[in-house]
Amino acid sequence: MPNHDDRHAAFLDRVQRGEKIEATDWMPDEYRIAMVKFLQMHALSELMGALPEKEWVPRAPTLARKLSLMAKVQDEVGHAQLILRVAEDLAAPLGKGREELVAELFTGEAKFHNVFHMPAPTWADAGIIGWLVDGAAVVSQAALLTSSYAPYARVLQRVCAEEGFHIQHGESICLALAEGTPAQRQMLQDALNRWWEALLLFFGPPESNSPSAAVLFKYRFRTKTNEELRQKFLTKYVPRIWALGLTIPDPQLRFDEEAGRWVYTPPDWSKLKAIARNQGPLSQYRLGLRRLSYEQGRWVREALLAPAAQAV
Amino acid sequence: MALGAHPRFRVYEIFVQKDHQSPHVWVGSVDAGSAEDAILLARESFLRRDPAVSIWAVEQSAIHRTDYADRDFFARETDKRYRTLAGYRAANAERWRKYRRELLDLERDFVRD
Repeated sequence: MPNHDDRHAAFLDRVQRGEKIEATDWMPDEYRIAMVKFLQMHALSELMGALPEKEWVPRAPTLARKLSLMAKVQDEVGHAQLILRVAEDLAAPLGKGREELVAELFTGEAKFHNVFHMPAPTWADAGIIGWLVDGAAVVSQAALLTSSYAPYARVLQRVCAEEGFHIQHGESICLALAEGTPAQRQMLQDALNRWWEALLLFFGPPESNSPSAAVLFKYRFRTKTNEELRQKFLTKYVPRIWALGLTIPDPQLRFDEEAGRWVYTPPDWSKLKAIARNQGPLSQYRLGLRRLSYEQGRWVREALLAPAAQAV
Repeated sequence: MALGAHPRFRVYEIFVQKDHQSPHVWVGSVDAGSAEDAILLARESFLRRDPAVSIWAVEQSAIHRTDYADRDFFARETDKRYRTLAGYRAANAERWRKYRRELLDLERDFVRD
């Protein structure tokens, strides 16, 4: 039996050569813990991401819009289920189950994505979330399709395919508003103004020095930096936003041909610190909604757990 | 080794058959209290859009598996070309070439008939 250091070195060598890791493989605790933390946050973010849009389901302007928004909200909750399933297998040897992974959201031990702490006060916000927030999500998730952890990469294939639908759905809402009345155009422009900083914050600060990020890079779980992902997002979406005749609320924004990169006014990075403490604009409100649905759904979980007793 | 889930839920591996011409294909897993619930959850998780004719739910603990580390089991040390199309195609094409004229004449005869 090789000793732990040899196994660790062999594992590191495997992932750095591009080999994929499966749930049943031996893995260092450092890898397992970092994976659980990342997957838990991704799953909870899918769950929390459904909330800002769910607010618009009862107020959607037409039945067709209501149906497509409901489909999207249901997809997000479905993604949470798929990712939680992968996280559970990883967390089991740490003595952590599904219940804990979900409930740690309420104690603040587990985080949800910074973008879902923001308000969505108008119908245009629902459109911008579908088009640009999901657009940003696909940029970061597509970069993880080659992740070293194979069970997650497999689930992401389905997630990314469905996010593609969400983007089309969001584009459809935004295009309708952009081609609508002056008031509708203004509503879209206001929503873009509200979301622009959040879209830059989405990918995190350019130099992420956090120890947990370093672990993700070391084990080839991720390979693209926050700034690389943000630049990719800007390249894809800035021209589309401009093509609709919308104004991006940053006079400094331009593509630097020589440097081959977008120059932009940095967002207020300190906002991410407040959000990480669940002190963002709607952090507590959304956590309250989540807690309510968790409590109201308790009887369903309990009923699902006791089918044998019911069958008698 | 059994992969864990919530101690009271069981993990079911899900296989979906999209039509009668296709085999059941593994799509993922769900947590459920019973096989019946697992099939219901599988439909909600994996078939919100795609059509299908059948779902299998198999309790994960019932699956016998190979170990990913056991590479020897899947080793391909010997040349397997003698079992494949590629092992013959190029050589056959080369040899058919000298019969080409004859073949064309014959085909023309058949067409005329």
